[in-house]
This record gives sequence, structure tokens and C-alpha cells, in this order.
Amino acid sequence: MALLQIAEPGGKPAKAPRKRAVGIDLGTTNSLVAASCGDKVETLPDENGSHLLPSAVRYQAADEAPQVGQSALDEAVNDPLNTVISVKRFLGKTLAEIHRANPYLPYDFSGDDDGSQPLIWTAAGDRNPMEVSAEILRVLAKRAEKFLSGPIDGAVITVPAYFNDTQRQQTRDAARLAEINVLRLLNEPTAAAVAYGLDSGDEGNVVVFDLGGGTFDVSVLSLEKGVFQVLATGGDTSLGGDDFDHALADWILQQADNGESLDPSQRNTLLRIARQAKHALTDRHSAAVQFGNWRGTIDRETFADLVKQLTDKTVNACRRVLRDAGFRSADIDYVVLVGGATRMPVIRQRVQEFFQREPLADIDPDKVVAIGAGIQADVLAGNKSGDDFLLLDVNPLSLGIETVGELVEKIIPRNTTIPVAKAQEFTTFKDGQTAMMIHVVQGERELVSDCRSLARFELRGIPPMAAGAAKVRVTFQVDADGLLSVSATETATGTTAEIQVKPSYGLSGEEIENMLKSSQEHAREDMQTRALQEAKVEAQQILDALAGALQSDGHLLNDDETEQIGRAVTALESALEGQDSGVIHELTEKLNAATAEFAARRMDREISRALRGESISTMADK
Amino acid sequence: MFFKDKNYFELFSIPASFQVDTRELTDSYRQLQSRFHPDRVAGGSEQERLRSVQATSLLNEAYETLKSPQKRAAYLLSLRGVDVEQVSQDDLSPDLLMEQIELREQLEELPRDESALDTLESLRERVTSRQEQGQQKFADALTAEDLETARKNYYEMQYFAKLSTEIESLEEDLLGY
Repeated sequence: MALLQIAEPGGKPAKAPRKRAVGIDLGTTNSLVAASCGDKVETLPDENGSHLLPSAVRYQAADEAPQVGQSALDEAVNDPLNTVISVKRFLGKTLAEIHRANPYLPYDFSGDDDGSQPLIWTAAGDRNPMEVSAEILRVLAKRAEKFLSGPIDGAVITVPAYFNDTQRQQTRDAARLAEINVLRLLNEPTAAAVAYGLDSGDEGNVVVFDLGGGTFDVSVLSLEKGVFQVLATGGDTSLGGDDFDHALADWILQQADNGESLDPSQRNTLLRIARQAKHALTDRHSAAVQFGNWRGTIDRETFADLVKQLTDKTVNACRRVLRDAGFRSADIDYVVLVGGATRMPVIRQRVQEFFQREPLADIDPDKVVAIGAGIQADVLAGNKSGDDFLLLDVNPLSLGIETVGELVEKIIPRNTTIPVAKAQEFTTFKDGQTAMMIHVVQGERELVSDCRSLARFELRGIPPMAAGAAKVRVTFQVDADGLLSVSATETATGTTAEIQVKPSYGLSGEEIENMLKSSQEHAREDMQTRALQEAKVEAQQILDALAGALQSDGHLLNDDETEQIGRAVTALESALEGQDSGVIHELTEKLNAATAEFAARRMDREISRALRGESISTMADK
Repeated sequence: MFFKDKNYFELFSIPASFQVDTRELTDSYRQLQSRFHPDRVAGGSEQERLRSVQATSLLNEAYETLKSPQKRAAYLLSLRGVDVEQVSQDDLSPDLLMEQIELREQLEELPRDESALDTLESLRERVTSRQEQGQQKFADALTAEDLETARKNYYEMQYFAKLSTEIESLEEDLLGY
């Protein structure tokens, strides 16, 4: 590539190229990707100009790539079983939990109730929630690649602050399946605070009220001198705009009084009608509704009553998080609304009542999270110095260990600033005990059965001693992503011990391999497309640079040489019309070989000019 | 090298006493986090990142300890070689025990509904004021290097802190969290 990168002799070395870093908001209802555009971070649109990608995946035949986005969503009414929407609600949950939280699902789930991976039956075969999520991530990654002219180096992916360890691990696994390098899992309210804070430059105590399609988070942060410190966070990972849709749908059904139960297709139709009515109420005081033979109207007051239980839950979470932070509502300086569902007048009203101030929604509540993630991505990829700001986040749920009597001993309480490491010593229960089962759980309750099981951990090789003599030191480490790792050592005798960690959920390396292999059937197509794209981009860059060089220095070549280069250029240009990346590569190499001498002569000429003290022109490059 | 052989007060460059200027402590904490946080070494080697996680974990532990009056008191005692984990009967004054029993009885006798909220609020105020008294006594004893009294005051503070947490829990339950 001598043609492109000749620096001035004795001049500065080239700056490290910008990494292609993006922020991804993997939402329940809509997903977005954001990247730096000049000096601002903005969300990226698709070819139709839409920034929001509906989080819908429709599977067809086994050898076909699934439809993702609006086209899939449009089919939800006609093909409810194969069109997976709101898959984020299923991440990290057992089958039993999914059914409890979502009574109206049309999907054909399989898997054990006790927690092995729930699977959704689709026309293309069984799919787990991570694979479905990966399809959405792939589309966003492609969109970013197109915009950034190349594969992305890393992404910051946002998760609800209240996501537990399993939900986070599965989000990570989904990214791995999509072959995305995860720079950080960032909490959504923190991302929103970053976007908002950097934009406004305000300081003070901020509450971020984030109501998405399927999850609810409320966080209290302090913004001061560029440090965004989360003081407390709370929420509900099974509460979102979808639930408001369902409440309204049930009401419509009741009003329509047809008494029959609906099939999945009818249910999806009803949901769509309910959602439209809900949206209408944002702009108007009342909305007309029609379902089957029934016609009626819904107004804001009736809707507010319908959803009172849901809005009460959000207000209670606000109370709790204020207490955890040690604040009263008067201590809060700003309230920021995030997530499409906060457009509902009833939400704005209740937030305003509780905090006694007008909430802010200056930045588009649908885009603000992705933008914040994009800002953080630049810092973590090294594109930005990060001197502007620092994020200090917390773990949302207490972490503990099961002890005798099926009780939980909390090791790291909730709302502890991360990263954090805590160690606790345990001892043996019986004489001669040589192994210990350590059961790691997450949650606020006293009984193990009321908490979420994260991992079971076997520590072997404890030298046989009297009960209570062994000293086993268990260390919990929560990293900046909020992910937990646990290690244990037996300290009394200093002997090394064997450790076996079996995560209760999440995928083993082998399982990920298998899933990757099966997705590679489709990915192979994608990879070929990507290889072609890359080859074309590279070839075009070289052709452009050469054209510039020939214009200024073509006189350095004789006629034969000019003709030879011309032929190589023509050959490459026509190959670019085709679809064969192999041929394009080959011809690119041939062109490089043909112009090597030209490049050398230009270099010599520059150097001798420098030696004579004449000004040096830098080579034409992008 | 920055972290070697420093106690928590030294880490944050604040005087090692029970009275702490939380403003100063927080500013110092944030400045240090800005320096050592993993996000600052995102481009660094595996080793650098690991060290950073360890450093900031320590900073978080130190900050948490010094921020809470209870933990700070325990830490100050531990710096003077006093272990507060081992409590013995002599550490608890009979008056204190009586007061505890009386307060707990009051708490237990409250009805489990919203009518109790006002009483709970005044109980909480009373407990908070006893906590503050305990803290003052602790500070004085520590300044006078009277470790025995300081230790007893620590347990007094502990009792009221625990009671305060229980009252809060009950309030939360009644408010339906």
C-alpha cells in the first residue's frame, strides 16, 4: 500500500486509526444502533430512513435467513407462531417464569420448568432466546458496518439496570453468537444519563425513569464534574409498555363482550388495535376503538384507571430507590424520562406528581439510550480520551451464598458501586469433610428458594480435618459489566484446591460453538457478502488514490508503463461490477504490483525535494 | 505503588478521625476513580485491566467503609488493634439493654397497618437522635484514646443502627414495596 501511506520524512507518525465502535440498544420493542457522526453520536437509519428496528424475528424455512424488523412485525398477525416479538422478555428466564409473566404467549415453548434453556418452536426449528436476539444484533451490526465502511471493532450493548446476572450473561452470549465484540454491558438508565448529562452539562441529582416495552428501571444518579455516579437502582424486568397494551386489550375484549377465546392471530390483532389506541391517547384526550363488531371509545381517565396497578408499581419502585439512595424527592434536581412508553400521559402525570417537578424528555426517549451507549463505546474503544466523564455504576441485586438451613448469607449488598470484590470465610460442617458445595444466589430474600440461583460451585481437595477447622475463603468479584465471578481457596493448610463452576443458566463454550455452527449456514451467505463488500471498498480506495497520483505525477511514467497500469485499472474496475471477491483481490494485487515502481519514483522525488528544501506534498489519500 | 501500605484515610488523603468531611471524601474518591477506573485502561493489556479492577474494588471498599459512620467507627478501632467482632457481655450496659428491650416491645406491639406509620416515624426520630448521641460519645472517647469506652459506644451505635434498619423495613412493608 505504498501508494497511500507515505508520511513526510521525519514527520509525525500516522495517528492510530479510529476504531469502529458503536452503541446498541437491544430493546424489547425496538432496537437501535448509534455511532459517531463527526463530533456527535447519532443513531443510524436503515435504507428507508428508519432509526428504530422493531425487535421482531420471523422464521421461515430452515435454510432461509429469518426476517428481522418491520417486515417481520407486519407478519405477526398472519404468522403469530413463527414471529417472535419482545424476545428480551424471555432472556434469562425459566419456562415457568416466562409463562407466569406472560399469560398470552402464542409461542410453542419447550424445555424443562426447572430451568434448562426454554426453546421456541419455529418453522426453522427450535430457537432459544439468545439465538433470536442474535438475529436482531446481526442486522444492527450490518447496518453499522455499512455506515462505517467496515466491520465493527466493538459494541457497547445496553441492558436494563435491573437485569440479573443470568439475563446479562445471556445478552452477552447473544452478542457472541452474532460475532460482536462486547466492549461493555451498560445499564440503560446510566446510558441515558450520559447522553442527557453531556448534552446539557447540568449537574446535580438525577432520577432516570426508564419504561421500555418490557422492562422498567429507575435509577438515582449524581452528576458532578463529569462523574456520573449511580447511587441506587431499582425496577422490574417484567413490566413495560407491553403490559399496558395487554391491560387495554383485555378491557376492549370485555367491552366487546364476545365471550369467545381468541386464537393467537386474533390476539395479535387485538394487541395491535390496543397499541394504536394507546398511542392515540398520547395526542388526544380520547380515541375511537373498533374490534370485530364492537365500536367504542377510550379516554385518558379510563385508561389511567385501567393501568393503575401498573403505574402504582412504578411509583413504589421510585420510593424504594430514593430510600436506597438516602434521598427524599425534594433532593432530586432533574427527572429524565426514557423509553417510548413514557410518552403516555398517565406516566408523565404520575411521575410529575411523585417528584413534584416537570420531567424532562428533551432527547428523543427512544434514541437516548443508544446514543449514550455510542458515547461510551468511543471511550472504551480508545477513540475518545474519556477525560470528559466517568461512569460509576452499581450492582442492582444482592449477591450471596447458601448457608446451613437454606438461608442466604449476603456477601455483596445491592447498590454497591462496582467493580467490587468481597471475600468471606466459610468452614466445614462435618468432621473429615473434604468438599464443599457453594451455591451462589442473587436476590433480596432470606430463603434460598426465594432467590435466583446463579451457579453451583464445588470446592474439592479440602484436607480432612475436624468440623470447623478448615478455612475456605470465597471471593466474589463483580466487574464493570456487572458480571460475577467466584473463586475459592482453602487457606488453613495452604493446599491448592480444585474448582468446578457450573453455571445454573447461561451457555457453555461447547453449546455456543454448536449454535454458532448452525447459524453459520446462514452466516456463510452473510460472510461471503461481507468479504465481497470489504474487497470492493479496498479496491475502490486504491483506485481513487491512484487516480489522484496519476493526475499530479503521471509524467514520471513512460507510455508503456502508463498503458500497463491502465490495463490493470480497467480489469479491476470491471471486476468491481461483478460479485466475485476472489477475483477482485487478485486484480487488486496485480494493480499494486504494476504501480510499485511508480510509487518508488514518487517517493524518491519527494525525498530529493526535501533534501533540496522544497515543500513536500503529502500523497493523495482519503 | 499508590495503594501500597496505605490505610483508607491515607488513600483519600483525609485526616484519620471519626469526624469526616463527606464532601472532601467524595471529591477525593471521584478523583481517584477517574485515575484508576477500568474504563480508563480500556485499551490496555490484560494485566493493566486486572490491576485496575483490583484497585477500584479496593477504592470502593474503602469509600464504603469511611462513608458509613458504623463502618468508619469499626475501622478506626481496628486501626488501633481493637477487634469489634468479638462481643462479650461486659460490653453491653444494662441501661442500654433495657432501652433496647423497651424499644423492641414498642415495635412489636404496633399494628401491621398504615395506622402505625406515625408512631413509626416518631420512633425512628428517637432512634436517630440516640444514634447521633452515640456517635458523639464515640468521637470523644476516641480523641481521648479511651479505647474501652469507645468500644462500648460502638456497640451502642450498632444497636441503634440495627433498630433503625428494622424500623425502615417495617415502614417499607407497610407502604407496600
